[in-house]
Amino acid sequence: MTMTETKREIPAPPATENVPVGSAATVRGIRRTQRVGHFLESYALIILTALVILFFSVSPASSGAFPTLNNLNVILGSQSVTALIAIAALFAFIPGHFDFSLGAVAVSTQVLSAGLMSFYAVPLWLAILISMAVAALIGIVNGYFVTQLKMNPFVTTLGMSILLTGGVTWFTGGKTILSGIDPAITKFGTTRILGLPLVFFVVLLIAAVNWYVLTHTPYGRSLYAIGSNQESATLVGIRVERNVWIGFIIGSLIAGLAGIIQLSRMGSATASSGGDLLFAALAAVFLGATAITPGFFNVIGTLVGAIFVSISVSGLTLSGASGWASSVFNGTALLVAVGLSTYLGRRRSRG
Amino acid sequence: MTGLSSPTRSAPEQVTPSPVALSLTGLSKRFGGTQALDDVSLTVRRGTIHALLGGNGSGKSTTIKVLAGVHGADAGRLEVFGQHFPLTGYTSDTARGAGLRFVHQNPALFPELSIAENFGLANTFPVHHCGAISGKALRNSVTSTLRGYDLDFDPRTKVGDLRPADRTMIAIARVMADDDGKDAVLVLDEPTASLGQAESDHLMARLRQRADGGQTIIIVSHRLKEILSVAHDYTIFRDGRVAATLRDAQPTEEEIVSHMAGGMVSALRPEQFSSHATDQVRLEVTGLRGGALQGADLSVRAGEVVGIAGLVGSGRTSLLLNLFGRHRSTAGQMRLDGQHYAPTSIQEAMDSGVALVPEDRGAQAAFADRDVSDNISVAVHKNTWTRKWMPRARERRIAQDFIDKLSIRVRSADARFSSMSGGNQQKVVLARWLQRNPKLLLLDEPTQGVDIMSRAEIYSIIRQATATGCSVILASSDMSELVALSDRILILRDGRLVDSVDASTVDVDALTKLVMIDPRNRNHDHD
Repeated sequence: MTMTETKREIPAPPATENVPVGSAATVRGIRRTQRVGHFLESYALIILTALVILFFSVSPASSGAFPTLNNLNVILGSQSVTALIAIAALFAFIPGHFDFSLGAVAVSTQVLSAGLMSFYAVPLWLAILISMAVAALIGIVNGYFVTQLKMNPFVTTLGMSILLTGGVTWFTGGKTILSGIDPAITKFGTTRILGLPLVFFVVLLIAAVNWYVLTHTPYGRSLYAIGSNQESATLVGIRVERNVWIGFIIGSLIAGLAGIIQLSRMGSATASSGGDLLFAALAAVFLGATAITPGFFNVIGTLVGAIFVSISVSGLTLSGASGWASSVFNGTALLVAVGLSTYLGRRRSRG
Repeated sequence: MTGLSSPTRSAPEQVTPSPVALSLTGLSKRFGGTQALDDVSLTVRRGTIHALLGGNGSGKSTTIKVLAGVHGADAGRLEVFGQHFPLTGYTSDTARGAGLRFVHQNPALFPELSIAENFGLANTFPVHHCGAISGKALRNSVTSTLRGYDLDFDPRTKVGDLRPADRTMIAIARVMADDDGKDAVLVLDEPTASLGQAESDHLMARLRQRADGGQTIIIVSHRLKEILSVAHDYTIFRDGRVAATLRDAQPTEEEIVSHMAGGMVSALRPEQFSSHATDQVRLEVTGLRGGALQGADLSVRAGEVVGIAGLVGSGRTSLLLNLFGRHRSTAGQMRLDGQHYAPTSIQEAMDSGVALVPEDRGAQAAFADRDVSDNISVAVHKNTWTRKWMPRARERRIAQDFIDKLSIRVRSADARFSSMSGGNQQKVVLARWLQRNPKLLLLDEPTQGVDIMSRAEIYSIIRQATATGCSVILASSDMSELVALSDRILILRDGRLVDSVDASTVDVDALTKLVMIDPRNRNHDHD
């Protein structure tokens, strides 16, 4: 957007620079200010992330451990799961819905694939395949409830989330699955390429694919249109129900993949609600909506949002803040981000 | 509650016989570099309906907003019923104190609540001494208010159950509740924008009745026809100035338009209007049933504009939605260019070359928060996708072409859809479909909420499309629109096309009679 603004700007002939009080000069001044404002708005999150990195790198409490390659690995590793769930959430958020079950889906595939290997000696590839099939099934069911039975997406997916949490707790008997997990998967989780975790590159690849799908395919563009006005979308020939349904399935699959990556990083699986994963991801999604194309959910902003959340939490932890600090941070970031993106969205629609 | 003096209102008392209710002189207002109002004067006589007319951006809305205390004035003098109100430091409270009462386009009524509750929420609920709402006191006061307006409703009636025109009357009665009306000026901003023809006629009749009872009314509306039927005086705006003031006049629509347009003559139906209809049959429909349709037959030739006239509920929208694949017909045959045509989806209808501009722009056509380019390209995503990328640059170029070609007044193709005026929004919706070069363009109320200047432009855009062979079916409740734009007008009644008239031989009054001829339908419409 900033690019096109710049292109449209006609370079001013030097002579007019000398005009003392001219309307043309004033207009140009205003336009320049607007452009600077526009730039700041689009890139504020990136600038803020840089400032946070700078702060924790020089702050005496964290400067020892924060700016190290080891810590960078920890940050990029931990943000990968957040980022994936956040990208998954985009497929529900962009068409104007909500998926509360993504955290639980991630936990489900993590626990299910670990459990299949540990309890039933299922080979790794089959364990992943079955888990992903279950993730797809959850997306199909959520999408059916929301698009066909017209159930409220928030309550539907919340119900699904609780149901899944109960299911995985039953499946594990409440114990952590540690043994019998194929070492290949944990090796994958700890492999580094160019000194950075392999999973980070996997996340970048998936983000790139989804950026492409959302911005450069008719399907992705249709999701934005549906999010803008469902009835208008129907009347330009967009198959609203089908596309929203597919969005739920894609979201569930990406969240399922996040669960597999979580397993590869941790080497174990414990039943939980996945709330921590989901809330950090939501913070990333809404922070992302304040950047790049302010007022709209977008993949690049989401990725930056996920990195911002992970860096801040890491910096706080290394500065000696207690465990509750990350919850306080995620909650605050979510509130601020929702507030900001709502404000920007409203300003956009006013034009 | 001083209001509603005598329930009979037989003899309007002449307490203060000052003939002028509101007088505004030398009003000026600048927004940044734009002179929005330049030395505007307005004199509203007591007990008259005074129409403010003008194209978008002509200054009529700004004038209303200054009167309402929304915008401050740079200069000007306001007198209401002989009392001077300084425009510096003038707020909405001053406006209220001066006796000005405003009802806006979409009156904020709660359809799920009763009339009485709507009154209570807007004004105050009468309470018992312990603080609970006294339903009885509220009902009594509301009943007496309603009686003053000849509205014979039980105050417990849900507002949503009333006919639309009466809902507007409720909003008017509500805003006037604490006045007897004679020392107040009622200002109505586009009160009929969301009403059908019959409903707005009903409302106009009610307003005329109020004015005859001594109420002073200022009304802003895009619908010239209905304004001409009720107004006594006219103030016509152009470019922030008063272009004409007509007192006790009976102007024609053309006269008003020429004042609004200035020297530029912009008749809605040009003199040298020539039909682009050919002999080739484009669409043939026989015995179509579905929705409100009870066996409709029609035939449209290539390049022809066929108008569909009919009352609300006659099946106008049903016909278009059936043709567009939104509704499935239950019986009947359709042939498009000789081919069997029975779309099972909108996509299929679009692929067959059919396009629909729906009735309610905001709810059915707008992507308000997306930009102009997105709003145009959304109908061709599947066709323009290169299988690799969405061609953004091309989309913007196409949008810019249409902005130039249809003279859409907008900052750029990157501007939000919602930032444009109604007329320009509608042009963008037309551009969305015209880029597909449709064989059959379905238009449902294409100029609703569109100012008269943009209306003329939209008509010429549609005529240009027919020159390339595009057939048009135009469903409208605006008889002047049907007469101006159509080659042939079909009368739709009870889901059947019962009559056909040549648009060049019929005038608005004759067409209105044809549509209204059956009194049974009149009742049906009032349901």
